[in-house]
Amino acid sequence: MNAFRRFPWLFILPSLVGFLAFNAGPILLSLWISFTHWDVFQPLTLENLIQSWAGLDNYRRMLADPVLKKAFFNTLYYVVVAVPLEITLALAIALGLNRNFPGVRLIRTLYLLPTVTSVVAVGLLWRWVLNPYVGPVNLFLRWLGAKIEALLSFLHLPVPATVHWLATQGPGWLQDPAWAMPGIIVASVWAGLGFRMLIFLAGLQNIDPTYYEAAELDGANSWQKFLHVTLPLLSPTVFLNTLLALIAGFQVFGLIYVMTGGGPLDATNVLLFYLYQKAFGEFPPDMGYASAIAWLLFLILFGLTVIQWQLRKRWVLEEA
Amino acid sequence: MKKTTIWDVLVIALLLAGGLTMLVPFLWMVSTSLKEPGTLFDLPIRLWPEKLHWENYKQVLTIVPFGRWYLNSLIIALGLTFLNLTSGAMGGYAFARFQWKGKDVMFLLSLITLMIPAHVLIIPLFVIMSSVGWIDTYYALILPGLFDAFAIFLMRQHFIQMPKELEEAALIDGAGPWQIYWKIALPLAAPALATLGTFTFLGGWNSFLWPLVATNSIEMRPLTVGLAVFNTNFSTEWTLLMAGLSLATIPPILVFLLAQRWFIRGLTLGSLKG
Repeated sequence: MNAFRRFPWLFILPSLVGFLAFNAGPILLSLWISFTHWDVFQPLTLENLIQSWAGLDNYRRMLADPVLKKAFFNTLYYVVVAVPLEITLALAIALGLNRNFPGVRLIRTLYLLPTVTSVVAVGLLWRWVLNPYVGPVNLFLRWLGAKIEALLSFLHLPVPATVHWLATQGPGWLQDPAWAMPGIIVASVWAGLGFRMLIFLAGLQNIDPTYYEAAELDGANSWQKFLHVTLPLLSPTVFLNTLLALIAGFQVFGLIYVMTGGGPLDATNVLLFYLYQKAFGEFPPDMGYASAIAWLLFLILFGLTVIQWQLRKRWVLEEA
Repeated sequence: MKKTTIWDVLVIALLLAGGLTMLVPFLWMVSTSLKEPGTLFDLPIRLWPEKLHWENYKQVLTIVPFGRWYLNSLIIALGLTFLNLTSGAMGGYAFARFQWKGKDVMFLLSLITLMIPAHVLIIPLFVIMSSVGWIDTYYALILPGLFDAFAIFLMRQHFIQMPKELEEAALIDGAGPWQIYWKIALPLAAPALATLGTFTFLGGWNSFLWPLVATNSIEMRPLTVGLAVFNTNFSTEWTLLMAGLSLATIPPILVFLLAQRWFIRGLTLGSLKG
């Protein structure tokens, strides 16, 4: 098609401008700033960029920063608990919903509603839902605790201290350093479940039903079918979904900002929140150090992706 | 068709119970928003208010510029969607139908940008936007959407799968590439555009970190940032906060229920991003 040789650049121009001005340019600038003590109040000129050069200062500082270390382990805590929880629950729900049944679509919609709610709304909502005194979560836990307590005393059994605590008080959630992260995790699983479930459903619907028919002919029961047909054939989806959840998990920000502001006592301060604090939350802003943290986070995500792809080769059944 | 077993019924009942549990926070939000201010901590705690206090909604609309925040979110989401569809479809078309120097390099570079998480861009974009004086303007909030590798890939995929014959016939009839694109290729790409559009719109509507950084006046904030900051100033006024939250949450849910089909397609396609 000869005529199509003439104007390709006309079509690519908007993207190219955007790419240079808002992607490639900023990425290089970010890398440079991470090696400087950049002062945001000076104009952005080549001279200033060169003069503020600080070598490896920012990266060296990271090694000795106790708050960064704490933020790193908090992020890890969040990811290690939230991701498996979300993936397992989403898979279970998807398996349950992957059948024809009147009302199945309605139930699916119920799980999807939080997905369309902005992260800010989710965070604000859960701050109230997790209120230790009048929130529905603790109301339920206290009711449950009281029932167990009543049952135990009816049976003349000793009431453990935790049950009594549950019945009268319950977790302090976001106000308690030990319970703040679990509180964030509950909110984030609630919000993210529907999306993960949807990806699993798409994967499940791609499985050829003849595999199940063959397994049934061989006398496989439901559990065997799940273990030997569904799981292997779904493994690419499981891997993709887990990787996406991990990447999103390491970048958790909105919920933290809204629900706890990183507190109490830095108990929920995560890497991206710490970056935000350094660059925009305190005075004077420390753009150089914050940029270095951004690249640390990038390296973590990059490493994670590489490891996942290596594992993928060993564990995932590739589609023929 | 297999026959339904007790087991199936049990699973569905369990899923329904779980689904209804998912609704509890929303119901709690609406119930709180209708309670009398100052009575939230009175015992015994009521699940639903005796008398509905609709005036909370009126009050929240007077103490914060809610309408303006809504408008800002709408402008940002629509602006981003427009940019994304325009440049994404054009770029995707260039990749799908044209041969040009640098195509492979550009493709590879676009792939790499998918690997760079958005948070890396926040600081340099802020530095650039402040140096050109665009902080606290719509430019800073919308223009970064000009390039989106995901949009390009999605549209490229769609154009590649489209049969070429119609476009070739138009070419023989003497139509130029722009005419062919505008009159033939783009209308045929409507489903892909709808999917991408829904996805971008919701992403723009819900975006938080960049608008938080790129705005500083109350008037320029989108709904997400406005609510988050409102929270730090009025964190004890839960009835008002929940009224505001209901106003912010219910319209997107309605849009979702109407556009569910496109949205679900967008989500599953979006999952390929990463």
